[in-house]
Amino acid sequence: MTPAREGGLHARVDAVWKLESARIVAALTRMVHDVGLAEELAQDALVAALEQWPDEGVPANPGAWLTAVAKRRAVDHLRREGRAERAHAEIAHAGESDGEPAGAGDEAGDDEADVLRLMFLSCHPVLRTEGRLALTLRLLGGLDVAEIARAFLADDATISRRIADAKRTLAEAGAEFAMPGRDELAARLSSVLEVVYLVFNEGYAATSGQALVRTDLCGQALRLGHRLAALAPSEPEVHGLVALMELQASRSAARTGPGGAPIPLHEQDRGRWDPVHVRRGFTSMLRARDLGGTPGIYVLQAAIAVCHAQARRPEDTDWTAIAALYDRLAALLPTPVVALNRAVAVGRARGPEAGLALADALRDDPRLRDYHLLPGVRADLLGRLGRHDEARREYARAAALTRNDAERAYLDARASAPAGTTTAPTLDDRAAAFLGGLEPPARRAYGQTLRRLVRGLGGTTPLDALTGDEVTRVLVTTWGGAAAATWNRHRAAVRSFAAWLDRPDLAEGLERRAPDRPQAAPLDPVRVVALCDDPAVPVRERALWSLLHESGAPVRAVLALDVDDLDRDDRCAGAVTWRARTARLLDVLLVGRTRGPVFLADRRPGPARTPAAGDRCPDTGRTRLSYERAEYLFTRATGRDATLRLLRPRS
Amino acid sequence: MRYLMTTGQNSRQADEALFAEMGAFIEEMTAAGILIATGGLEPGGVKVTSVGDEITVTDGPFVEAKEEILGFALVEVSSHEEALEVSRRFRRIVGDGASVLHRVMGP
Repeated sequence: MTPAREGGLHARVDAVWKLESARIVAALTRMVHDVGLAEELAQDALVAALEQWPDEGVPANPGAWLTAVAKRRAVDHLRREGRAERAHAEIAHAGESDGEPAGAGDEAGDDEADVLRLMFLSCHPVLRTEGRLALTLRLLGGLDVAEIARAFLADDATISRRIADAKRTLAEAGAEFAMPGRDELAARLSSVLEVVYLVFNEGYAATSGQALVRTDLCGQALRLGHRLAALAPSEPEVHGLVALMELQASRSAARTGPGGAPIPLHEQDRGRWDPVHVRRGFTSMLRARDLGGTPGIYVLQAAIAVCHAQARRPEDTDWTAIAALYDRLAALLPTPVVALNRAVAVGRARGPEAGLALADALRDDPRLRDYHLLPGVRADLLGRLGRHDEARREYARAAALTRNDAERAYLDARASAPAGTTTAPTLDDRAAAFLGGLEPPARRAYGQTLRRLVRGLGGTTPLDALTGDEVTRVLVTTWGGAAAATWNRHRAAVRSFAAWLDRPDLAEGLERRAPDRPQAAPLDPVRVVALCDDPAVPVRERALWSLLHESGAPVRAVLALDVDDLDRDDRCAGAVTWRARTARLLDVLLVGRTRGPVFLADRRPGPARTPAAGDRCPDTGRTRLSYERAEYLFTRATGRDATLRLLRPRS
Repeated sequence: MRYLMTTGQNSRQADEALFAEMGAFIEEMTAAGILIATGGLEPGGVKVTSVGDEITVTDGPFVEAKEEILGFALVEVSSHEEALEVSRRFRRIVGDGASVLHRVMGP
């Protein structure tokens, strides 16, 4: 048994807080009518928990405890303010819910409605966008200032100020803690949706180095979205937003390469799209559709994402439908970014010329002056029209404008590619251009594949004349008999090249292979017996090997055994059983031992390493033998080919 | 991050009160975007074993009744602690027994 991985009381309180704080702060805001004060009172309860729980133990229902204490503080506050009448009403109210399990009865309904009011308040239109974001994460996500600061790559002081400013603005504006009236509901709701989607995009736009801390924003946004959908289930746009976020989240593992380089949608490995997110996205989309009405901006964007998610291969994408959805979206949301995406979709659905016409119209929009995707999109469309010199200039512009390093490398590669000829470019030229744009390691890895390909197909072959069948033939004849990993590596190189050429059809015939799983045979029992009987080998190793052989148990399970787990009379420890040889060796090994791990390391741990108590022998101070060390000892004794796992008996 | 929680036999009688409480808990966790999937499992089960090229199918049970896994929940949480907290709330509803949590690696 290893000690549970628990981060201690602080971590536990933090986890409880993140799950419960929105409800607590919302309930307090209803009581004291001041969100800033409500949050302070809730914080007081949190401090009380940190003071009392270490001595008194964590209460059975920590969420209810925090709620009850916070409400008591609010009542005290109301009394001090001389609002005795109100205090008495609240005591009656708070008393009913004291100690009640959260989520039971009608009380939960009230509390949840308060959460919705709190969302409307923290996303109030009187606030600046950055204030709404920070306040929402603080009040509804339960994030502390440092966590928010990390997420936005800002310092703590800035975030503290943003939150304080937002609270003051709400107080000065007399913003009410109430459901918006019918006339303003749509506008207020769209403000909430906007905030949630901004939080999501902050996380989604994170680049590789920052990805770890920032992607949690996506999780926060998804949670807020789901919660909102449960609170306002009859609003199609809420479900549309959830669907949009889920579908985008489904692609997060597939959208960057190993070096953090962005992988465009049509080059992504669709097998890596997360089916759980896709399914949840589809479910939300169906809810939105069932509700009917004219689709709003989130439902339209989600519908576009659904089109992508439904295409098993990029070439199956229904660009006609996507272009039509963008036509409608551009009418509702006339932002330059939507217009640009529309140009891309139209370029796919109705040809590069039609796309370029839309993209060109955007060149005069000052909002897109520094937006790297405009020249990027134009470059792609120009290239497909054979206008390579112009395309190269646009790639260079795009590379100069992007702030993302990985993206810049990608665009630079395209910009520095030789223009090719406006007549038919040859395979040789294009392969050299493609390789020239890669980082040295990738160039080396892909170079081997492409050289064979060029040799097999003829370097002067015009690209237009190439077919996928010919490419498949070369690869199969060269690497058809190789290991799956080798095949897949060459396949990946060709796919990447084909995508770069905008000719995914060239790699179409190359099926990915499942990795070979070499099933190494167990060792010859005669050899195992010889090893276990070899007096030159220390008894600890022999006992371990013999036990593994006779029990067939997993290596980790055997190494995890403690002396007092063993029933040496019945030769078993739980499901691990053994026979005479092991019993004899264990008797020798465990002379004088009554407790601690059965298999101990040779040395005591260094001063810098403090192993968990359960992994240390209390008598000798030596620690449990590690898997790595055990494996090493076995390998040393048997030669390079054997691993501990091979000691299992033959069936 | 995702965790899979598996649960064996619980002591609390499966009556209407339990169903109501569990239903409310499941609804709350689903609405919060935490619960991805959950379900009960048929006791016994079927084991599919591969050795070399051979696939063998065996009917359960494979463990004693008290060690059998009878339910599961897949949850999306923001920390290990949060996964523990969610399972604590679950355990408070179902009475005596045990649940095991595993972090799901990938996808």
